[in-house]
Amino acid sequence: MDRRWLLAAALLASPPAAFSQEKPPLRWGTDPTGGAPYVYQDAGGAFVGFEVELADYLAGKLGRTSVMTKADWDKLPLLLDKPAGDADGIDVVLNGYELRDDLQKTYTATAPYYAYRLALVAHKDDDTLKNWADLATPRDGRKRSVGVLNGSAAHEYGKTRFGDRIELAINPDVATVMGLVEKKRLDATVQDNPAAAYFLKELPALKAVGDPRQPGFYVMYVRQADKELAAGLDAAIKEGLKDGTLRRIYQKYGLWNGDQEWLCYNQTGQWPADEDAGEAPDAGGKANPWPRMLRELAGAAGMTVFLSVASFPLAVLIGLLVALGRVYGPGWLGVPLGVYVEVLRGTPLLLQLYFVFYLLPGVVPVLTLSPLQAGILGLAINYSAYEAENYRAGLLAVPRGQLEAALALGMTPATAIRVVVVPQALRIVIPPVTNDFIALFKDTSVCSVILITELTRKYNELYNFNREYIAELAFVTAGLYLVMSYPMALLARHLERRAGGGKTHP
Amino acid sequence: MIRVSNLVKYHGTHRVLDGVSVAFAAGQVVGIVGPSGGGKSTLLRCVNGLERFQEGEVAVGDGLALAGGPGAPPRDTLLRLRRAVGMVFQQFNLFPHLTALGNVMSGPVHALKVPRAEAEATARKLLDRVGLADKADARPAQLSGGQQQRVAIARALAVNPAAILFDEPTSALDPKMAAEVMRVIDDLANDERVPTTMVIVSHDLPALRRVADALVVLDRGRVVYDGPAAGAPPGYLE
Repeated sequence: MDRRWLLAAALLASPPAAFSQEKPPLRWGTDPTGGAPYVYQDAGGAFVGFEVELADYLAGKLGRTSVMTKADWDKLPLLLDKPAGDADGIDVVLNGYELRDDLQKTYTATAPYYAYRLALVAHKDDDTLKNWADLATPRDGRKRSVGVLNGSAAHEYGKTRFGDRIELAINPDVATVMGLVEKKRLDATVQDNPAAAYFLKELPALKAVGDPRQPGFYVMYVRQADKELAAGLDAAIKEGLKDGTLRRIYQKYGLWNGDQEWLCYNQTGQWPADEDAGEAPDAGGKANPWPRMLRELAGAAGMTVFLSVASFPLAVLIGLLVALGRVYGPGWLGVPLGVYVEVLRGTPLLLQLYFVFYLLPGVVPVLTLSPLQAGILGLAINYSAYEAENYRAGLLAVPRGQLEAALALGMTPATAIRVVVVPQALRIVIPPVTNDFIALFKDTSVCSVILITELTRKYNELYNFNREYIAELAFVTAGLYLVMSYPMALLARHLERRAGGGKTHP
Repeated sequence: MIRVSNLVKYHGTHRVLDGVSVAFAAGQVVGIVGPSGGGKSTLLRCVNGLERFQEGEVAVGDGLALAGGPGAPPRDTLLRLRRAVGMVFQQFNLFPHLTALGNVMSGPVHALKVPRAEAEATARKLLDRVGLADKADARPAQLSGGQQQRVAIARALAVNPAAILFDEPTSALDPKMAAEVMRVIDDLANDERVPTTMVIVSHDLPALRRVADALVVLDRGRVVYDGPAAGAPPGYLE
């Protein structure tokens, strides 16, 4: 393992230079993937949305700067578990989270900032779906499929209200679900009305079914210890409701309605002041987005390369040690090393990354890793199991006579293995190891689940806000993977040719 | 001087060596012959500790003795035994990733910790000694079988052992190359500057008669003859 890689990894993973202001920034967590109108990117690439403006307003009231942190929606509360001031943690979950009993056990909920309802959305062509009750009637002899966000109020409502009379399709991304309904691959979706309203406008093939129902509150969640922050946010929300600030923000996105007037009365004891309606949100300029998108993709590709070249040498090193232990180590060592290999080969990389990043800090606080550290370590450990098997095969393929000849010269077993057996084993396994390197290169995409913006995640982000280029973006992204992996295959072939030097055994 | 006393070796339940006692004097050249499966190769492999044995003892010089028995032999004894007794294999077992020179240097450099420059000088002399000075940079795969075996002999000599065991050194070679290898062994045997004891297992009886001072005949794990080449019982020598 080259120590420079470790050093580079540590440097990249260290937090950016802290602001030298008195108050720390207000770090709020959100998932901008398919997140309109909450948080999304406009045509110029800037993050906009009613929650962005709400966060800016709240941070301003608290005298702090607003810093947005991105993560998968259903993982946001886990980021609160990191200590305050942690570069990868957040102070507030602010992303259309409902008031939920389970979350209130662990975190403190603020006063509600928005009153939503559940809206039912279906395809215009579907005449069999005219109201909520129609959901329960089968269509063409099969249950209707209804897309919902994992863990959302709509998810809960679908389960309790309709039970097994509908087929719930769970997905983490509103834009994806709406797209599936548009293509008639789902019969309907239940979404909070802000998202429903946005996509009904964007996708003309969709229709609203029945009236929104089942009202609920959006709240923010903070750490239970952050009492001061919770009180400050509560006060700022109420003030914003009373003085019309929230109304202006919501009107800009077409989200102000009677429910919000009730929310204001409920929270402040006053009806909101009458004001002129704000302007509709800016449709965005017609600037060519490609230079920006290509720049962002290239940056993300750099991260993909970095993850690969930082993790693979580590995987090879661990793998070789495990293989040596299994082939030449004492008998008792074989069992734990065998378990190591089988567990890591037999469980998904995705779960292993979740474990390293989200769960390990709870078990061993010292191992609180940054996303990049966790990504590199997770990939290295996962692939070390495959490399261990490669090297084990390689070590066993070296003829027994090689070791005997080295021992007969008076080398110690360790020296004989190091200077005679291992070099030959390394040559034998170059083809499968190359193969694994290219596989790992593509598997870096799984790191997106632990907040690393690499190529695949960047593609997801971009196409959500540039749906007209969805095919072009996919081709460009796939092309980037290809132009990066092909030279690596060539390099490996070159190494093979150089190392081979004819037959490996007389 | 190598002394083998009452050596008993099992493969599973098969008694491969059935109480073998034999001695090889310093500088002596001894041929071991006998029918296949008689335990010739096994005896060599026990003498330099590549295989364990159950009973008896192998002693080299004064104060170095490996005793048979269950369990692993002491590491230190094994190392010293192998440094004192070199081995040349039927299949040569050259290291394919090293050049001829690298093969000959590997023992001195990695086992004896001789400085590289010194090891290289010695290795070049030894390659010259076996007639392959011009093949120093060739890889094993680029050499003929006879050339490979000669490199293997140079490699065994490089660690300066008290004895070299040849395990059927010519049986993987065609007659012409076999003769070329036997000529090298003959040369060494008659070279007073090389005081090494040589023990040669071979089926090439004419060559053995020419080279060896004495013959040992092994049959079914027992020594049935141990004496001058001329006196060996003819029944075993076809």
